[in-house]
Amino acid sequence: MLTYLLRRLLLMIPTLLGISIVVFTVMALSPGGITPQALTSGMEMKPEQRKAIEDYYNKRYGLDKPAPVQYLHWLNNVSPIGFISDEQGNRGEFSFNKPMDLGTSFQYGRPVSDILAERIPITLLLNLVTIPVIYLIAIFVGMKSATDRGGSFDVGMGMSMLALWSIPTMLAGVLLLGFFANIQHFQWFPTSGISSREALDMPFLPHWGQTGFVRGFLLDRVWHLVLPVICLSYGGFAALAKLMRTSILENLHSDYARTARAKGLSEHDVLWRHVFRNSLLPLITISAGLLPSLLAGSLIVEYIFSINGMGQLAVEAVKSRDRELVLSITWVSGLLTLIGYLMADFCYTLADPRVSYD
Amino acid sequence: MIFPTPPSKFFKTKNMQKQLTIRDWILYSLLSLLIVLLLLTMYQIDRQWLKLTEMEAAMYEQSKDMRELHSSIASGALPAASVANASAAKDVAPAFKRAQAATRLPDYAQGDWLVDPLEANLKTLTPLISTDGYAATVQSFVQESLVTRDPDTLEWQGLIAKSWKVSDDGLTITFQLRDDVTFSDGVPLTAEDVVFTYNFTINEAIQAPSDRAALQKIKEVKANGKYEVVFTFNEPYFLSISLAGGSAILPKHFYEEYLKSPQKFNESKGLLLGSGPYKLLDPKNWSPDKDTVELVRNERYWGDVQPAFNRLLWKIIQNDSARLTTYRNGEIDSYIARPVEYQTLKKDEQVTAKSQLFEYMSLARGYKYIGWNQERGGKPTRFADKRVRQAMAYLTDVNRIIDEVYLGYAEPAIGPFGSKTKQHDSSLQPYQFNLEKAKALLKEAGYEDKNGDGVLEDKAGQPFEFKLIYTQSVEDYKRLVLLLKDTYAKAGVRLIASPQEFPVLVESLEKKDYDASMLAWGGGLESDLYYVFHSSQAKEGSNRNSYKNTELDKVIEQARSTVDDEKRMPLWQQAERIIYEDQPYTFLVRTKDLLFIDKRIANVQMTKTGLNFGGLPQENYVPLYQQKYKQ
Repeated sequence: MLTYLLRRLLLMIPTLLGISIVVFTVMALSPGGITPQALTSGMEMKPEQRKAIEDYYNKRYGLDKPAPVQYLHWLNNVSPIGFISDEQGNRGEFSFNKPMDLGTSFQYGRPVSDILAERIPITLLLNLVTIPVIYLIAIFVGMKSATDRGGSFDVGMGMSMLALWSIPTMLAGVLLLGFFANIQHFQWFPTSGISSREALDMPFLPHWGQTGFVRGFLLDRVWHLVLPVICLSYGGFAALAKLMRTSILENLHSDYARTARAKGLSEHDVLWRHVFRNSLLPLITISAGLLPSLLAGSLIVEYIFSINGMGQLAVEAVKSRDRELVLSITWVSGLLTLIGYLMADFCYTLADPRVSYD
Repeated sequence: MIFPTPPSKFFKTKNMQKQLTIRDWILYSLLSLLIVLLLLTMYQIDRQWLKLTEMEAAMYEQSKDMRELHSSIASGALPAASVANASAAKDVAPAFKRAQAATRLPDYAQGDWLVDPLEANLKTLTPLISTDGYAATVQSFVQESLVTRDPDTLEWQGLIAKSWKVSDDGLTITFQLRDDVTFSDGVPLTAEDVVFTYNFTINEAIQAPSDRAALQKIKEVKANGKYEVVFTFNEPYFLSISLAGGSAILPKHFYEEYLKSPQKFNESKGLLLGSGPYKLLDPKNWSPDKDTVELVRNERYWGDVQPAFNRLLWKIIQNDSARLTTYRNGEIDSYIARPVEYQTLKKDEQVTAKSQLFEYMSLARGYKYIGWNQERGGKPTRFADKRVRQAMAYLTDVNRIIDEVYLGYAEPAIGPFGSKTKQHDSSLQPYQFNLEKAKALLKEAGYEDKNGDGVLEDKAGQPFEFKLIYTQSVEDYKRLVLLLKDTYAKAGVRLIASPQEFPVLVESLEKKDYDASMLAWGGGLESDLYYVFHSSQAKEGSNRNSYKNTELDKVIEQARSTVDDEKRMPLWQQAERIIYEDQPYTFLVRTKDLLFIDKRIANVQMTKTGLNFGGLPQENYVPLYQQKYKQ
């Protein structure tokens, strides 16, 4: 087991290198390229300011050097093994445990790690709420429709899940906002952000105050998350519920289920003790992609509800050719994808005793 | 896994069943619940701690005030000062006249908040390193400059400066500062701070390249006593007053430490302190990860008229429809509409019932244009011929563009200057659409449809077609280009539309690898033609179309070095006439601002520069009976 783990971990290094090379090349070859001109993309900027800014970027980020040199420079900064360079960029001695530096964002002028540290908690919160919702609803609906195959619940859910799955998020988000956050219809939820200004002055937990019910910071946050979470989750649980249903049905008709029934087990026991666990395997396969998506965020939902998450950051970075930021984001999400696959492989051994890596 | 594999099958099945019992599930969920609760508690304690530090800071501030008060009472300075204040109240500085008039309105009241939307996330609030207009808006309420423009007459008037004098050669400007100005932390503003602002900005380590470039004309800034500053220029420069007096004054005691650690300043998120009527609650630790920007009233504001609102709040709402819904719900006080949207909203009763509508042309509005590239690969293009450019101007039906693309909410741009600025020569009329004239001009230049395919050919037999590059991200441009393509085709000119991503567009411009480009320039109350139209800027500067006219060069140079307004304006008008004749650009439109403002905001009026909404000194307020926010 340990050798297997070690092998997998070591294999990650060339994979990550490959990812960074591909991303860097794509960035360098993209039309327009990484030039200071592209970074000063203010449409209505005064002409005299532009040149000064361009010169500054060239000097600060070394954008006038050839691309391979820029890549090696970046790699050296990111990896824990390499040359230590000082403030002026002069090469110092070789070290095996130097600090990893993700670089400075062109667009923000701040260290990339700082920016990521600001955005990650928000996306994480959103996804940590969304993913359990997706899985709970998917498993519940899938189970129920499979056991009630052909019944009214199955047919109704089958249709509505298909319908939900086909609604584009963009439309759903705007409709939800237009109907459930609008004074003309039902103003039940807030229109933007993840907390309101008033909540900053409230205590944490909801309670009855002198002026009536005070929702507190916690409930305020939950209240703000309702619409975004609906938007983020409906596509996911619609697809997973279908998958879960098929998987359970398949297992219910398999030989071991028949054997269990022949053994005299009740249908309940057959379902929960034997079939359920086996049916989870496809869901586990899908969950491998979960860890990176935890941080990837969703551009559309974030944009509609004005949430500053990773999705917006990534797209903004690509649009403005903010190389250090793009590289860091892909690098981090690449790492998480690999770890996600590794964890999914381990989850198989938990759910299915036939799988082992020795 | 390190254990030997269990020999009996029994062990395995038992183990397997054990994992599935309901009791285990409950145990696990209880455990995770506990962890979540623990995390929440930690978070809660953290919040308490933050609140406590905030209160501590406020307490410190108050005790400082008290101490100062005590000491001034003890020294007997207070009665004199209060008398001075009382007499000053009768005779306010000219900059505060309009604001004072507002306070005399019958329903004037202080209090309430002004809540505005921001369309994009802020990157930083620190002055100099912030580059977007949104940050500049927020900063303008916190930091003040020596002089401002009078919105009625557009003349400069003193704000922090009491008076100023320009030397006869136009090379030195001496400002006399008011002696009663303090920053929001109580430290008095002196000439030292003005000098520091200059020295700080030109420091190479500070990330302010564009501000630094602008200051190159200044030779030195010297403090002459506590309340006198002398700016010396390298050469006479027409924008010298705005350059010297128009930039925000940074408090020396606050920003000085960052000269030692410029990196900290360059990477900061919100270091903002000034003498303005509003301040950040915590001037050092603002951070962009909140959804709002909040300024509170500066209780120590030195100005003759105190601002009306207790707080200014900006909500960051990126999505257009979310912003509109928020405005409908009454949670923000203003909404900027696009032309199409404005037309529908004008008929929407829910919106009109609660809004004041404003459609106006801001004086400082920039213009959209098509630039004709006159030199490509060292050889002159077909657009190097003045007659061709004039023909294109006659072919561009600007009135139709205004009607169909901008629904009437724009005006034709005649030249580089706004039609109400003093730089503009009001005798010039926009080129009207005239197919016959255009055809005649093109024929004169040697273009004829020889093979009868509907497209003109030049003398060498090449068809008259050109590629127009423009940014794909602006929705209006797509419709505009379709319209142009249609009208140009009538004269046998073929336009090939080439929408591009902005970085790609910029690359083509840099390499001068294009036929024509549709772009926009930002405006100003007085704009400088040097960077865009002077021939010295053709190689590397913003004169990307390699337009050269020696006569214009001379006029621009002369105008820039003329400090006297009376003499300079005719020169600008002359320059404009040359550009009008040469048509290096086909000038398209200046768009109007379309704005909805909530009815509770009172005294919103048009001024010469635009609207008096959101400017300083503040003239808007909310009458008492309509106030919403009590804090």
